[in-house]
Formats: sequence, structure tokens, C-alpha cells
Amino acid sequence: MSVNYEKLIKDLVKPLVVNPDDLSVEKFSEDEGMLTIQIMVNQEDLGRVIGKNGRIANAIRTIAYASASREGKKITINIDSF
Amino acid sequence: MKVITLEVKTVEEGLKLASKELRVPESHIDVTVVGKKGIVKKILIVEAKIKVDPAEVGYEILSEMFDNMNIEVSIEMRRRGENEISYTINTSENPILIGKNGKTLENIQFYIRNIINAYSDERQIVLVDIGGYKANRRRQIEILATKTAKEVAKTKVAAKLKPMNAYERRIIHTKLAEWRDVNTISEGEGQDRHLVIKPSRR
Repeated sequence: MSVNYEKLIKDLVKPLVVNPDDLSVEKFSEDEGMLTIQIMVNQEDLGRVIGKNGRIANAIRTIAYASASREGKKITINIDSF
Repeated sequence: MKVITLEVKTVEEGLKLASKELRVPESHIDVTVVGKKGIVKKILIVEAKIKVDPAEVGYEILSEMFDNMNIEVSIEMRRRGENEISYTINTSENPILIGKNGKTLENIQFYIRNIINAYSDERQIVLVDIGGYKANRRRQIEILATKTAKEVAKTKVAAKLKPMNAYERRIIHTKLAEWRDVNTISEGEGQDRHLVIKPSRR
């Protein structure tokens, strides 16, 4: 069974936000093992999700890459706020 | 545990506000009414506190993460003293989770540390190890440090080591602290920060 990246990433981001209802993680595109995932969070939560010098965003990306590399896939994550 | 006191009109409002103030999801907060005030407009005095154990939150998040990756895992959680939590992880996919030069492992640790410290009012030291990577790495680094230091002591020529993270540099600094014929110093910035072993001047 292949990994559900939307769920993986959503579960990683959820503990960081105070407005979980505004959190959406969607697959933007997928072709030939290249995935693009779009994370949308409330403006208030953007700072927490990105972190100082983007370190939290980076950690989330690294974890997602590791999981994707197991299936020979590449993943791009975009983070934006409403 | 973090506790804050708020003045609000309803318990729901208190929960919402507490979530923003404490920066944790509403589901992890307990709100209790401790007093009332006002004559015309009733104002509630509520106490909000985080009702979950930070170490448990970390454990749940880690197991959920590996579950989402379809990786079978065993996680051992251990508390050392008041302020240290360590997770020892073993999976069928250790190399992927450790990553190149332990980069993925470092990021997992950073992520979990960040969450745990959001839930705790005292700073917690959070350590994550996968498949004994850190213990092995420690041994390797100590061997490298001793070998290089012997060379430096003999030749009196400083040796520059490869860039390492703070934790790895610290291992060498500590290991060589008692050596009288060499000094250790970290040089460079950011990703390039590395250790230099210098002969001591006499």
C-alpha cells in the first residue's frame, strides 16, 4: 500500500497550529513520481509552521522526502496562508 | 504544566483564547471556572491548563508519523530527571530514517523537540535515536578525535575536521578537554562550522 502523503503531512502540521479547522493539505499535482503538496494554514499559524529560519518547515520537508524516497518518489511542499 | 488565568464571558471563549495564548490545540486544554465577577455583564474567571503530558504527545506523534509512512516501528520512551525525554526508535527502515550524515534523524529530533517544548513550561531536552545511530557515531567520532589529536601532538600541525553539528563537535571538545598538548576550537559559520584541533603553545 502506498503512503498517503497528504495525511502524513497533515498529521505533522496539525500539532503546530491553533486553528486546525483552517488547515488544509492537498495534492497539487502528481506526475511520474513528482508530487507537489500544498499546505494552507491560518495567517496566525504560519510562523509556527515555518519556524525560525524556516527550520520547522525544513524538518517537515526532510521527513516527507525520506518517506517519499522509499517509494522512489520526489516531493515538493508549498506552505502558504489564507 | 502550563497554567494561565483568563477573564472571559463563556467557557468556550476561554478555551479558544487559551488555545491562542498557550499555542496548543483546544483538545489538549482543560478549562475550569474559578470565579465570577461583574454585576450587569457577568465575567467568568477561568483557569486554563494543558492536560496532556508532553512526553506522551511526542510519543503519539512519532508513532502516528511512522504509521503514516507504513513503517513498522518500536519506540521506547524514557525520562531522565525532570527535563530530559529520550526516544529510542527501531524500525525496518533505519537507514532511510537516519538519512545522509544523520540529517533526517536530526530533523525528526528538531521537530519533536519543538512540539514538546510548546507543551511544557520548562525547557525540555529531547533526544531521538534511531537504530543506535548516535551511539555508534559517538564511538566513531571519539576514535577520530583521539587519532587526530595524537597526530597533532606529534607533528605540532593543526588539523581541520569535516563540518559537524553542534552535538558532534561537543563530543570532541569534551573528549579532548583533558588533553594538555592539544586545544580544540570551532571555526566557520552555519553549515560550514567545523572543529580545529591545534597543538598547545608552550
